[in-house]
Amino acid sequence: MANKILIANRGEIALRIIRACKELGMECVSVYSEADADSLPVKMADEAICIGSAHSEDSYLNMTNILSAAISTGCNAIHPGYGFLSENDQFAEWTAKCNLTFIGPSSKTIGLLSNKLNAKKIAMRYHIPTVPGSLEPVNSLEDAIRIANEIGYPLLLKAMEGGGGKGIQEIHNQQELHEHFDRVRLENKANFKKDGIFIEKWIANPHHIEIQLIRDYHNNIVSLGDRDCSIQRRKQKLVEESPSLFLNLDLRKQLTKDAVTLFEAVDYVGVGTVEFIVDNDFRYYFLEVNTRLQVEHPVTEMVTGVDIVREQIKIAFHQPLSIRQEDIHYQGVAIECRITAEDPLHDFLPSPGMIKNVIVPGGLGVRVDTHIYPNYVITPYYDSLLAKLIVWAPTRREAIRRMRWALEQFLIDGIQTNIELLYLLMHNPDFVRGTYDTLFLTKFIELVKENNHESII
Amino acid sequence: MNQLFDDRKNKLNYFKKSYRGKANQLTKVSIPEGMFVQCEKCKDLLLQEDLEANAFVCPKCEFHFRMNARTRINHLCSQFEEWFTDYHFQNPLSFPNYEEKIMSYQKEAKEQEAFVCGLGWMKNLSFALGVMDSYFMMGSMGTYVGEKVTLLIEEAIKRRLPLLLVCASGGARMQEGLFSLMQMAKTSAAMKKHHQARLLSIVLLTDPTTGGVAASFASLGDILIAEKKALIGFAGQRVIQQTIQEELPDHFQTAEFQLEKGMVDMVVHRRDIPAILYQLFHHYRGLQQ
Repeated sequence: MANKILIANRGEIALRIIRACKELGMECVSVYSEADADSLPVKMADEAICIGSAHSEDSYLNMTNILSAAISTGCNAIHPGYGFLSENDQFAEWTAKCNLTFIGPSSKTIGLLSNKLNAKKIAMRYHIPTVPGSLEPVNSLEDAIRIANEIGYPLLLKAMEGGGGKGIQEIHNQQELHEHFDRVRLENKANFKKDGIFIEKWIANPHHIEIQLIRDYHNNIVSLGDRDCSIQRRKQKLVEESPSLFLNLDLRKQLTKDAVTLFEAVDYVGVGTVEFIVDNDFRYYFLEVNTRLQVEHPVTEMVTGVDIVREQIKIAFHQPLSIRQEDIHYQGVAIECRITAEDPLHDFLPSPGMIKNVIVPGGLGVRVDTHIYPNYVITPYYDSLLAKLIVWAPTRREAIRRMRWALEQFLIDGIQTNIELLYLLMHNPDFVRGTYDTLFLTKFIELVKENNHESII
Repeated sequence: MNQLFDDRKNKLNYFKKSYRGKANQLTKVSIPEGMFVQCEKCKDLLLQEDLEANAFVCPKCEFHFRMNARTRINHLCSQFEEWFTDYHFQNPLSFPNYEEKIMSYQKEAKEQEAFVCGLGWMKNLSFALGVMDSYFMMGSMGTYVGEKVTLLIEEAIKRRLPLLLVCASGGARMQEGLFSLMQMAKTSAAMKKHHQARLLSIVLLTDPTTGGVAASFASLGDILIAEKKALIGFAGQRVIQQTIQEELPDHFQTAEFQLEKGMVDMVVHRRDIPAILYQLFHHYRGLQQ
């Protein structure tokens, strides 16, 4: 088994991986950009090596620098974390070619699944419901009208490369399609330098549910249950919980079955998540597969007791899973809040700066994964995640109460954070009842502004 | 750093008021009545339980709290059989509101009158026991109390029992006037008879033993034991001072003062009383046999 792992990431996830390595008795090497020289992972890893300037392209996305860092420090594996190069099939391929173990699925699997359209086609082949829509780029209005009539209104016009709410237009009838088609097409061409837009059915009240799976090289597959990540804004998740309050037992079984089918179909090895959209009538649609460790993995760890990162590393070295499906007993409810350096009332504008002081909550059932410390400087170059606050309790109500109290204790001085927004959210009746969908957070922020709660935030 | 905590608290308070529609309301915690007692001397707060366990003596300053009759009996005896429980209210002078007053005391002190008597046991030793209750009209002696004391003494003579009287009294009961004063003579005569029957009588003087009680049977025991710091005297301190126009010593009319002047035979801590009494009764029985 490998004894030295390079962590091609930064921030709290780099720390999380270092901790798993230490528990497995492995050495680890941190890579860092010039902006992260004072970061905690750099101090905590056995070795640290600078791989470039503050800009991600030059450092955390710089494959050759990362690979040469791994080789020169004598590592035999690379953990990509999430984001950056974690879902880059080329990086996985190069890593393998350098005789290093890529801790994640094979380059081929990533290649198959990272293209959303491709993943959708695979899902369709296995009769997994997908969002009705065009499978090829649509270029003419005539084609658009034909497809629209097939799938029915309302629908969405989407750019292939679009994301985060950009380049998406809602269409409610044929007249609107006439009005918007050319404009959206031209805009997309201008913004994303690619022709062709997609038509997709618009799903009312969508819930974002995902299934966490682990599969090893020995055909063992274990489902670690579901997570509800519907509290999101422009695909940026803010709060995640497990198990989902919205799912019923039958649907949970069905989603797990489909997710397992998909994993086995592509011979997926490693840790991964299958994302679904579920509407209020419990119709579900396959969305995508995340071929990596996810930010919100701790909520699953809290309800199952399984160390996902540890299993992930062991699987990468061809070890069989140390757990079987029958060993998994879901206990209680876990909720995660992402504490970010953002101004929630001003369109989540990042708030970089020096953290003067930090008071971190604690106690039974409270977990804080964070890389911040007093006098640490938040740079504007990377994402604004400061900490993940995860609570566990036997029931959802107790978990919410524990989260409220934990947020009350959490003090970060010097920069603007979303702690207060999260605190308000934990008191929202819809959140407490669990009747929320992916559109909820945007409405909630409007509500906060309407109620003049700025003085709190 | 303080500013940070204050800011958070202010926000939380604002939130609780505006968003939840209520601020942090203080809920009144009700301490069970009688859970705590304040020491009358050192003013320290004591747990009633601790106080009871320490025979109603302040564990800090050794202040002896007053004890009601039943508690005193429990403290002194391992077994007790009550005598003379017949009770009829008498108001020889038709004193106004006297009956109401008695009734309210009966309710409050849960006793018929200010004197409880009967046959007490300390292990294997029995004796006639009479206890005054200072919680009942200051343990004052009216016809009923005087009669009961006399009956007890006579019963002791009849059964040839040693006698223990625990005194705590403000004196003769003014509502019964001369009838109360007559009790002094009656009880004193009874004490004399007991003495003549060559029986032992012990009087325990507790806080306060004053007035007509101090001036009659309370001073006539063969052995007079006083509790520490107990007020023992006839007339009030101020009355005496105004009469004799002299500076009185600080410990005037305390048990210690009376010991100095030869009025009592010993001053003891309450916790030592049962042992001393047992010793005396034991010794006395040995002498008789």
